[in-house]
Amino acid sequence: MDSVSRPKRAFRPSRLVRPLIGVVFLAFLAWRLYTVLVVQQAYGPDTWLRFVISGIILGGVYAVIALGYTLVYGVLFMINFAHGDVMMLGVFAGYFTLEAFKATELLNRSVGWSVVCVLIAFIVGMLVGMGVAVALERIAYRPLRKAPRLVPLISAIGASLFLENAAQLMFGTTRRKYANPDIIAHNTTGFNITVAGKDVMLTYTGVLTFVLSVLLMIGLFLLVKRTKMGKAMRAVAEDKEVAALMGIDVDRVISNTFAISGLLAGAAGVMWGLHMAIVYHYVGFLPGMKAFTAAVMGGIGNIPGAMLGGLALGVMESVAPAALGMPFQLKDVLAFCILILVLIFRPTGLLGEVLAEKKM
Amino acid sequence: MAGVRSGLKSGFAAGIVNALIVLLGVHVLLGDVLAGWFSLPSPQPGAWLLLLAVAWWGGARALREQPEGWKNVSVVGLLAGLAHGLVMGVLVGVLASLTAEGADIRQVLAKVSPEAVDLLTFGLSPIVAALMMFGVMTLVGVVSALLANASTRYRWGESIAGVWQNALDRIAALPSVQSVRRFAHTRLIVYAVGLAILLVLPFFAGQYWNYTLGTVGLYVVLGLGLNIVVGMGGLLHLGYAAFFAIGGYTVAILTAPQFGIEWGFWVALPIGIILATLTGVLLSLPVLRMRGDYLAIVTLGFGEIIRILAKSDVLTDFTGGPRGVRAVAGPALFGIDISSEFHFMYLILLGIVLVALISSRLQNSRMGRAFMAMREDEDVAQTMGVYTLKYKVLAFAIGAAFAGLGGAIFASRNQFTGPEDYTLLVSINVLCLVIIGGMNSLPGVIVGSLVLKGLPEMLRELDDYRMLAFGALLIVMMILRPEGLWPSQRRAMELRESSE
Repeated sequence: MDSVSRPKRAFRPSRLVRPLIGVVFLAFLAWRLYTVLVVQQAYGPDTWLRFVISGIILGGVYAVIALGYTLVYGVLFMINFAHGDVMMLGVFAGYFTLEAFKATELLNRSVGWSVVCVLIAFIVGMLVGMGVAVALERIAYRPLRKAPRLVPLISAIGASLFLENAAQLMFGTTRRKYANPDIIAHNTTGFNITVAGKDVMLTYTGVLTFVLSVLLMIGLFLLVKRTKMGKAMRAVAEDKEVAALMGIDVDRVISNTFAISGLLAGAAGVMWGLHMAIVYHYVGFLPGMKAFTAAVMGGIGNIPGAMLGGLALGVMESVAPAALGMPFQLKDVLAFCILILVLIFRPTGLLGEVLAEKKM
Repeated sequence: MAGVRSGLKSGFAAGIVNALIVLLGVHVLLGDVLAGWFSLPSPQPGAWLLLLAVAWWGGARALREQPEGWKNVSVVGLLAGLAHGLVMGVLVGVLASLTAEGADIRQVLAKVSPEAVDLLTFGLSPIVAALMMFGVMTLVGVVSALLANASTRYRWGESIAGVWQNALDRIAALPSVQSVRRFAHTRLIVYAVGLAILLVLPFFAGQYWNYTLGTVGLYVVLGLGLNIVVGMGGLLHLGYAAFFAIGGYTVAILTAPQFGIEWGFWVALPIGIILATLTGVLLSLPVLRMRGDYLAIVTLGFGEIIRILAKSDVLTDFTGGPRGVRAVAGPALFGIDISSEFHFMYLILLGIVLVALISSRLQNSRMGRAFMAMREDEDVAQTMGVYTLKYKVLAFAIGAAFAGLGGAIFASRNQFTGPEDYTLLVSINVLCLVIIGGMNSLPGVIVGSLVLKGLPEMLRELDDYRMLAFGALLIVMMILRPEGLWPSQRRAMELRESSE
């Protein structure tokens, strides 16, 4: 027998919080799912499929934006609050490019021309995103590299306000419609899938968005894991001073990181524009917020985590209101609730942080 | 050759800044303002002053790599000027020719009106105007580079920040200020005089200024509350507007006729504060173990949840949905109905005095010190015997109570409350004023809310551009003076140490 009795641990009421929340949440979930799925049976399989499809597409875009947050957080440990606004400028860049092609009547001349136009719109959007992100880093963040962490955050908030209002002043407050080429016209062109006797449309813009976001994620993953630049980025994320001692130009690496995050945001912006078909100065706010949520949910600084978090958030956001039998108005509430729940039970995100202890 | 790259780069940078100025219409704004001030016949001088100043900056900045000899300097300046002239020349050429063809650019670029283009072209034909712009910018580049080379380099940013610091130091060194610092009774006299001035002020300020100062005052209450969470406790909270909303909505629901309860303000106020405090405690429980940015995003999400819920159809019966609650009752005190801005100033002053008193007593108390220890290093604080979980809950609760008080007064002053009063921008504004004023500094919060809420009122001429200027100001402020306008002694010391 063990004669040394362990000291009795003091009772802390705070220990009860987590299990209590868990039980309440599970009970609530079971009750709602039972009501909706078994009792009411409000939606057929076609509707569910529609929700899942739109969720996956949305999730792809969130994931691409979230990668930008995560990359920047990985090297600088700061929330780039203005990232959503970089995306907004990407949406506008794509919009103006497509409008220009429409005005010169190249947009719908032939299928080949349409493809080229969309491609150019993507390139312009990405370049604009990159330019803005690099300029942002140079002007608003680089002078604050050594400051305490709240200082760059405020600077980022300032940059976000500046970009949003600059866009509002420059482009006006009207909501404009994206000029998609006819072959990928919004909401009317797509594959038809028949489920339980009903047609579910898988729009071409949705397919394009999803395929592109997957390609971008794979590209980024290879870039970070396989190239010299990616290696330098990882080294800087690990320890800036040691990386500098090893001959890495830290300023340049950070600038490159912002460039990549800007490219991703720009691409996400054009995808958003093509798929959602609407553009105005505030378009970046909510996706930015959601993408940051996704990045945190997956474990910030963690690249696969951001992808998983984005997809998970997108799907849950579009399925959860229906599954829980709640009004669709509350989908943002659900998204944030999911975030809070995830963080209560896994405080460092789904896949965990990389380099968790360094960030404190 | 040394400096070619930096010449081209700063030329392009300045060119892009000027292009942005033109696209945003800032040159028109400045031209109009200066024309109004100095009663000039046209906005042209003001507009060109701005453009030339930016070009000048570009030329002077081109010398960063310090080329030797006047020949090299003028070549670098020329390059900067050419780059700048190219950007601006093309822009002016395109805009002018589009305008000349009668196209309405405003449908795409809202601020590029024909008048704005005319300011740049002087009514000349597009090609001539573009060439003129090109020539002028090139010339300015060379001249500014040569002059900048001849003079010693002047560090604008540091000198502006230095002037402010100098002024603060001088004021602090005055014998009278020193005696205020040292002797409690002098301090009391100063407080009494200040309070007396504030008490008399509403009589002389008109309705408009009373309203503006009332808003500033409400933000002081909010700022002091958030200061306890962020400034003292170091818990980054981005959903502070939620507590504000709960205070406001409680008072609104309990007093407005549309729900049929119609209690008095003085009954509803404590309930609002208690509810806000309880929400603070409830929010703090699940986030106890989160740190830094996780906490920030969760609190942000919480703020949005409260706002969306208030706006949604689900709670329309309780919150009035997107249309909000109308006819919120004003309080009555000693038989006086408090309904005008003038009377509300006193109520707000009362709130500020109460909250400031609590804050200042808290700062050097055991609890305040525990908060600050937690901010500096949570692990160390815990090792030293500070039960951080308890103090986190307390910080949230006290901060939330202050916000509840602010929200209650806010709703009853506006006689209305709706979900759009409690957007993320409110939380961000409060956070910014705490940091701009100086973290954990009570006078800093007051200075911060005067700057953030009072200054924009004085800059009425800027109207559309206020938020733009605000964003830029935040960035500049963080670069030049990260410790805030009126930092607490300790914080200023820390920041100066870390920058060395």
